[in-house]
Amino acid sequence: MNEKKVKRGCAIALAAYILLAAVFNWVCGDQLRFRDEQTDMLSASGVIGEITSDTVVTQRIQVDGDRLLGLTLYGATYARQNTGWLCVEICLGEQVLATRNVDVSTMADNSAFYLGLEGPADIPEDGSLILRITAPESVPGNAVTLYSGRTMAAAHAEVDMSLTEEECVHINGVALDTALCTQLLSREDLWFGQYYWYVAAAGLLVLAIYCLVLMLRNKAGKRSLVLNMFAAFTRYRYLMKQLVARDFKTKYKRSVLGVLWSFLNPLLTMVVQYIVFSTLFRSDIPNFALYLLTGIVCFNFFSEATTMALGSIVNNAPLITKVYVPKYIYPLTRVMSSAVNFLLALIPLFAVMLITGTPVRVSILLMPAGLLCLFAVSLGIGMLLASAMVFFRDTQFLWGVVSMLWMYATPIFYPESIIPASFMTLYKCNPLYHIIRFIRIVLMDGISPEPKAYALMAIASFVPLALGVLVFKRTQDRFVLHI
Amino acid sequence: MMIQAENISMCYRMTYDRVQSMKEYLVQLVKGKIKYEEFWALRNVSFEVDKGEVLGIIGHNGAGKSTLLKVISGILKPTGGQVAVNGTVVPMLELGSGFDADLSGRENVFLNGAILGYPEDFLKAKYEEIAAFSELGQFIDVPLRNYSSGMVMRLAFSIATVVDPDILIVDEILSVGDAPFQEKSKKRMLELMGGGTTVLFVSHSLGQIREMCDRVLWLDHGEMKMLGETKAVCDAYEGE
Repeated sequence: MNEKKVKRGCAIALAAYILLAAVFNWVCGDQLRFRDEQTDMLSASGVIGEITSDTVVTQRIQVDGDRLLGLTLYGATYARQNTGWLCVEICLGEQVLATRNVDVSTMADNSAFYLGLEGPADIPEDGSLILRITAPESVPGNAVTLYSGRTMAAAHAEVDMSLTEEECVHINGVALDTALCTQLLSREDLWFGQYYWYVAAAGLLVLAIYCLVLMLRNKAGKRSLVLNMFAAFTRYRYLMKQLVARDFKTKYKRSVLGVLWSFLNPLLTMVVQYIVFSTLFRSDIPNFALYLLTGIVCFNFFSEATTMALGSIVNNAPLITKVYVPKYIYPLTRVMSSAVNFLLALIPLFAVMLITGTPVRVSILLMPAGLLCLFAVSLGIGMLLASAMVFFRDTQFLWGVVSMLWMYATPIFYPESIIPASFMTLYKCNPLYHIIRFIRIVLMDGISPEPKAYALMAIASFVPLALGVLVFKRTQDRFVLHI
Repeated sequence: MMIQAENISMCYRMTYDRVQSMKEYLVQLVKGKIKYEEFWALRNVSFEVDKGEVLGIIGHNGAGKSTLLKVISGILKPTGGQVAVNGTVVPMLELGSGFDADLSGRENVFLNGAILGYPEDFLKAKYEEIAAFSELGQFIDVPLRNYSSGMVMRLAFSIATVVDPDILIVDEILSVGDAPFQEKSKKRMLELMGGGTTVLFVSHSLGQIREMCDRVLWLDHGEMKMLGETKAVCDAYEGE
C-alpha cells in the first residue's frame, strides 16, 4: 500500500482518537466519575409513634458506595400542624458523621421527604451506619412520626424482608418488629473516572505505537491485518455499495408506499404493542411509548439483519460458484442493507421522542456506540447462521423459533424488573440486553451509563462477532461444495 | 509470470445421499452410515503461464477442465497444491451472474460489473459502449424481467466483454443472440483474446484451439496427459 496513504491514515486515526476521548469526557460528565445509587424503600405498614424530646430513634442502615449524600424518610404529622424540629444524625459507633435538621412545621402528612446531608458522610468498609433521630423540643400532642414496615413490593406480591432484631428500628434502645421506611442515596467514586485521562493517554500511546509498527511493516513490504482490511475495503467498496443499493431498491420495488414502510413498520408495531401492553397488561414504565419503540427498532434490526444474512450464502449460490468475491461480502452487505433500514426507522423514533416531550440532551451523541455494537452483534450472529445454513438447511426453521425466544428474552415491552433475581445472571448473557439498555439510558434518561455498562456492551458485542467471524472463516472454503 | 500452478489437486467428497438436515446427519452418524466417496477431479496439475500467453485446455467431458478454471479464478480452493495469480482475473464462466430481474438494464450493468470486479470509474466510462454493443436501445431502462432471454444474454455478453483484465478465463467462446449478433460477439471475443492479455481457454473445438493458442494443456481424468506446443498436443489428442 502507498506509504503516504498509510501515514495519512495513521494521522487521521490519532486525531480522531484524541477528539473522541475529549468529546466522550465532555458528554459523559459526572457519570464517568461517580455512580449514584438509591436503595429501595420498604412498604409502610404503620407508624413508630410520636417522636418527642424523650425519644431516641435508632436504626441500623446498610448502604453501598463511598459517601452517603442523603436519605428519604416517610413521615406523618397526625393531620395537624406541629412545631419544633427533628435532628437526623448519621453515626458510626458514637461518632456523628453528618447531621441534618428538619423543621417539622414544613412536613406534609403521609408523605416522603428527601434530606440532603450537610457534608456527605463517608461510608465505612462494611457499609453499616447508624441513623439516629431525635426531636429535642417536641412534646406529646405536638410531634411528628415516621412510617416503618417489614415488607417490600416486588413484581407480584409483597415480600417479607425477614428482618432480624438488629435490623429493626429501636426506640430508646427497645426494638420494634419493623424497620424505618428509608431510601438512601449514596455515591460511589469510579476508578475509571478518577484515572480517565491516564487511561485515555495510555490508549493513545498504544495506538501511536501500533501506527508506527504499521508504517514500518508497510515500508518493509510486509502485510498486516489492518492494512489488508483497508485494501479489501477500498477494493470492494463499489461492489458493497451496489449490493446494498440492490437490496434496498428491490425491497420496496413493487409496493405503493415504498420506502415509507421503513418508517411505518416499526411505528405500527409500536402502536399495536402499545395498545396491548398499556391496556390489557398494565405496565408502569415511565414514557412507555419511547421505551417500547426503542426496543422494537433495535430488535427489528437484529432480527431482519440476521434473517437476511442467514440466506446470504445459499441464495447467492449461482454467484458464488461462478465468480470469486470474498464470501464475507454477502452477509456483510445484507447486514448493511438492514442497517440502512434501521437508520430510517430512527426517524420515527426521534419523532416519538419529541412528541412525548423527552428532552434531547447531549448524551444522544453516545448513541452511535450502541448502534455500532448492535451492528457487530447482528453481523456476528448473521455470519454464524450463514455458515450453519450451508451445511444444515434446518437452520432457517430453527432460527425462526430461536429468534422468537430471543425476542422474549430481551426487555422490549416489559421492564427488566419482572425477571426473578435468580435468573438475572442468565438473563444478562443476552448481548441485546446490554445494548438496548445502553440506548435507553442514553435516549430516555439523557445521561451516560456508568463505565461498566460500556465494558459490558463491548464484550457482549465482541464475543458474538468474533465467534461468527471465526466459524465463517473456518468453513468458507467448503461452502462452494455444499451449495 | 502471470499464473503459476504447482501440483494442484482437487478432491470432492461425495456422499451417496447428500445429507442436508441436522436430524438426518445425526441419525446417519449414529448408524455409522456417513460414507464418502472420494473423487479426484484434478491430480497434481502444474503449469505456468507467461504474460500475454494464450494457454488452451482440452480434454474429454469430466476431465477436470472447468474445475481447473474455477481453481485458478479462486472460486474453489484446491485440496492440495498452490496457485499464484498475479493480476486481476475476469472469469467468463457464465454470463449474467448476479443479474436482478427487478432492476433495469442500466442498474444491472453496474451491479453485474461490480460483481465482476470492474472499478467504478471504468464502468461509468464504458457504460455507453456497453449499452451500444448490447443493441438494447430504450429497453435499457426497463426492468430485466420484461426482457426476452436473448436480450438478457446480449446485455450479459456486452458487460462481460468490455473488460481489460490481466488474465481472462474463457470457458468456450460464447456466441449469443441471433445470427448477426453471434457473428459480432464471436468477433469481439476473438479480439479480446488476441489483444495481448493472458488467456486460459477451454474449448471442445480443436479448430479454435489451433487458431488461438500458443500452448495447450491436455487433461485426462484429472491428470496432465500432455503440455506443450499447440500443434503437437492437438495432433496427439486427435490421434487418440
